[in-house]
Amino acid sequence: MNQGRKNQSPDVLAEIELDSLFQQAQEDAPTPLPEPFQARLLADALSAQPGAAPQRVWSRLVGWLGEFGGVPGVAGVAAAGVAGVWIGFSGPGLTGDLVTEFWQGAATVSPTVSSWVEDGPLVVAGSDLLSLMNDEAE
Amino acid sequence: MPRDTAYQMTEPEGQTDDALLARYAQGDAAAARALLDRLAPRVLRLARRLLQDQAEAEDVTQEAMLRLWQIAPDWQAGGAKPSTWLHRVTVNLATDRLRRRRGVALDAIEEPDDPTPGVVDAMIDGDRKRALDEALALLPDRQRVAVVLRHLEGMTNPDIAATMGIGVEAVESLTARAKRRLAQLLAGRREELGFET
Repeated sequence: MNQGRKNQSPDVLAEIELDSLFQQAQEDAPTPLPEPFQARLLADALSAQPGAAPQRVWSRLVGWLGEFGGVPGVAGVAAAGVAGVWIGFSGPGLTGDLVTEFWQGAATVSPTVSSWVEDGPLVVAGSDLLSLMNDEAE
Repeated sequence: MPRDTAYQMTEPEGQTDDALLARYAQGDAAAARALLDRLAPRVLRLARRLLQDQAEAEDVTQEAMLRLWQIAPDWQAGGAKPSTWLHRVTVNLATDRLRRRRGVALDAIEEPDDPTPGVVDAMIDGDRKRALDEALALLPDRQRVAVVLRHLEGMTNPDIAATMGIGVEAVESLTARAKRRLAQLLAGRREELGFET
């Protein structure tokens, strides 16, 4: 194809040749979008669409909660919070009383520290617990 | 705003971009898809030509399209075309990125010397369009932006000057230098381009 490059150096393209490249590049249809990118753009479009805002807020909230274990995780945190509030309002006093309150009869099966020490809980049938642990380690 | 389901049953083919944008603003998802198919590929190509980076070009395209969706409810039909508006936004976003990439104003970038010998030989084979894109990638940013906007996007020199924040004479100079460089870069691919050797 002769593009009128008479008297032109072979080391450069003639202006008319370059212009024909520009012309072709202008007329060429762009290549279609990569599919994942197109999906991303469409998701943007739909989330920005008027009337779609509440959905977007809800989906963001769900996504955010998902990072904390989803609905079960949030339910656990909520239950712990409610329990904390209840404990705060009920004012159970000392934790020993609290155990008794939750577990009726706990005081009768749970010895006090002094009685536990007096009974020698680390001694088991003539062999103390520490020596048993040593044997286990060996 | 309630969605008009009647719109969703209307084929978007043959409708103007203005009409599609209005339908989008009324909640028509099909209009969004149609506008994307029409406008986004050109936006991505322009951004890619300006930035020479696929990931950045996609970011710019996404941002430009998002701005179009956001302005849709307030869009005044009969004024600027959505494609023209989008083109302008894309150019601005891309040139902003080029400025940030260099950390200095676009017009303060020093132009390198003549192209490195052998660069053209290193280009991979391809068709004319691809060859032009590859040669564009080898231009300095300012030259590439000027020549792309002038010769591939058909913008006027005053518009390019305003976009790039430089004078019209500087645009003319950049364009002329860019064309000289492209002519040199592409001379080695004359046969591949279909020109007489």
